[in-house]
Amino acid sequence: MDKNWNHYKATGYYDELITPKGTPRQVARPAVKLLKELTAEDLAARRTAAEVAIREMGISFTVYSEAGNIDRAWPFDLIPRVITAKEWAKVRLGLEQRSRALNMFINDVYNKQKIFADGVVPAETVLESSNFKEQCMGASPRFGVWANICGSDLVRDVDGHFYVLEDNLRVPSGVSYMVENREITKRVLPEIFENYSILPVDDYPSRLYGMLAALSPRERKRPVVVVLTPGIYNSAYFEHAFLAQGMGAELVEGADLFVDNDNCVYMRTVDGPVRVDVIYRRIDEDFMDPEAFREDSTLGVPGLMRSWLAGNVGIANAPGSGVADDKVVYAFVPDMIRYYLNEKPLIRSVPTYLCMREKDREYVLNNLEKLVVKPANESGGYGIMVGPHADKATHRKFARLIEKDPRNYIAQPTLALSTAPTYIGDEIKPRHLDLRPFILQSRETWVTPGGLTRVAMVEGSLVVNSSQGGGSKDTWIVDGRL
Amino acid sequence: MIMLSRVAERVYWMARYIERAEDTARLVAAYNHLVMDIPRGSQPGWEILVRILDSDPVFDEWFNVRNEQNVLRLLIGEADAVCSIPYAVKAARENVRTTRDVLPDEVWELVNELYLYTSEASENSVGRRNRQQYLEQVIQRCQVINGVLRSTLCRDHSYRFIKLGQLLERADMTTRIIDVGASDFLEREGAAQGIEHLLWGTLLRSMSALGAYRRMIGPQVEKNAAVNFVFMEQTFPRSVRFCIRGIREELGPLTNNKAALRAVERTRRKLRNFDSSEFDQDALHRYIDDLQLIISELHLSVQSSWFHRDG
Repeated sequence: MDKNWNHYKATGYYDELITPKGTPRQVARPAVKLLKELTAEDLAARRTAAEVAIREMGISFTVYSEAGNIDRAWPFDLIPRVITAKEWAKVRLGLEQRSRALNMFINDVYNKQKIFADGVVPAETVLESSNFKEQCMGASPRFGVWANICGSDLVRDVDGHFYVLEDNLRVPSGVSYMVENREITKRVLPEIFENYSILPVDDYPSRLYGMLAALSPRERKRPVVVVLTPGIYNSAYFEHAFLAQGMGAELVEGADLFVDNDNCVYMRTVDGPVRVDVIYRRIDEDFMDPEAFREDSTLGVPGLMRSWLAGNVGIANAPGSGVADDKVVYAFVPDMIRYYLNEKPLIRSVPTYLCMREKDREYVLNNLEKLVVKPANESGGYGIMVGPHADKATHRKFARLIEKDPRNYIAQPTLALSTAPTYIGDEIKPRHLDLRPFILQSRETWVTPGGLTRVAMVEGSLVVNSSQGGGSKDTWIVDGRL
Repeated sequence: MIMLSRVAERVYWMARYIERAEDTARLVAAYNHLVMDIPRGSQPGWEILVRILDSDPVFDEWFNVRNEQNVLRLLIGEADAVCSIPYAVKAARENVRTTRDVLPDEVWELVNELYLYTSEASENSVGRRNRQQYLEQVIQRCQVINGVLRSTLCRDHSYRFIKLGQLLERADMTTRIIDVGASDFLEREGAAQGIEHLLWGTLLRSMSALGAYRRMIGPQVEKNAAVNFVFMEQTFPRSVRFCIRGIREELGPLTNNKAALRAVERTRRKLRNFDSSEFDQDALHRYIDDLQLIISELHLSVQSSWFHRDG
């Protein structure tokens, strides 16, 4: 595969493994050397082995389509992405700081609302958002932390710096694939580990358990923690089962739980009811309790909200956390960091134009072909317009949408997402990628070493979501000198 | 040790479906073997397999003529037919997929591999050429799954409900094989003259009982002794008596077990003093009918005691 690598060129972007001169970055040298030495046949055989491993391990995700739900094998590219521990240490500090500020913000919104009174964030942008849940006013979860699990999407621009693109504070997913990607690489490219000391990722479930256990309202040596899933037809069901098993916790569906007259949550077991201390909620808050939120929900547990407000059960993420998971609120995060922590932001945010501001809107409408326009409140890459890649008709459509509902749209400059060598067909090609680390916070804060790297498998594409054909890579944080 | 009622129900069914897939494969394999041994014209016909599995209505939904090709298409080739091997495997997999958190990792991988195997190979294994290899694969893979469960699963509630499912299914399957097998073969006694031992040998083989029978009873396979053996032999792990005893042991440590233990007692009373030489064909058939009813009541009491309890 030597020839293939020698022709590799990623121009106009920061490439994760290869310098503009075409030589491997220092940290990637041993890996690239090994991959170069593999024959084309050998590399293809490794890819087949990875596909077989994925099928046999049953790593899958569900895609919704008109033809019914399909259980798809997890897409994986076997060339790892490599980052130095030194660089990662800075990112980690930035993420911890950000998560602390976001949680102080959520706690403030549902309690004293000082940040509105002090004029740092306009109250109406938050209180009018569909992510603001009035039912949560006055709640005080343990440690003042609402978003116990945060998945922040990072991208690296052409300047080589990491930027936070968005913070997922509702029910972020993908962490199981981070763990499984490492497992697959170990199976199919075992030699590549010889020259590296790579920070392990497979202790995530035990970190998660520790974080959740700290939320228990009862003092117990081993609190009863459960993972609440909407069920097998959810796209992330694989992950729910993976995490429950990794934590030795029960994987429950709404019908397995009930709230008794004492306002405590119980699960139905073969030995009768057992009290639950902490619920890791993988179900949208709108569906979690038909008494408090959507009445038509059959997935939830009637009375759950009552029990949580009474302090009888811990719920992560706390209902209402999504109020900070809003692309308008995103624009204010650097201000929050200065306001709550009196610190300078350690990790960059992408400059954001809020269409609700007249001046910003004018700029956006005049520069649609340069900008990425996003609805404030959608996930999974839906409803996004990438200006430079869209035609005139789409520009006009988005102009109308923005004028109709300015609060619901933001715009950002198009970032030149970094690339990494990716094995496509029988060639090694540059493909754009992002990175989703996970931040756990209750008594302490902890960040995964690396995270889930998602790759846009189509040439030039910036859409990395697995539901839209994106792939993934094992992500290494490499310690020490090579 | 906590066990959700829903999870208990799913691992129970997982075990039943794995056992069903294995037993169905055993049955077809044994019959396949028999067909090659006996002279043309004496064969009791392939539809007997459909009857053993209580699947006449399902058969009629899919096919008209009861011949070798159609019967095997139903039992091997049609993943959507409830009595087929791929259907049982798929149902087992769905149950494991939703209970992975209480089972050892390998169980999911093995059941998933079995599923991938049957979804790829089933359609091409209807014909005689690939059939035997397919059936052997299914049997072996089910045995591996059971082996992993035995050697890695803690003896807690999940193990208990898995055992309950497996033993109930096995006891049920054993009575089915004897019931329909016996009556049909007897009807054809004229035609089957001189090969009765071959036919009964086949039935024993389908339960992996032939070798044990020979060592304990003798080399000649004879109807009454064979029926007694698979019903009553307390050392043979597929006998009805052995299965019922196992069920009683597993029920012991469970709370709320009174109703299920009562159902077990009824089965044991029914089995006590069983002697097939005292029965003619009709009486044996009635006896087995009763026994199957009691076994299905046992299933219902497990269901209402642990799976669908309120509060």
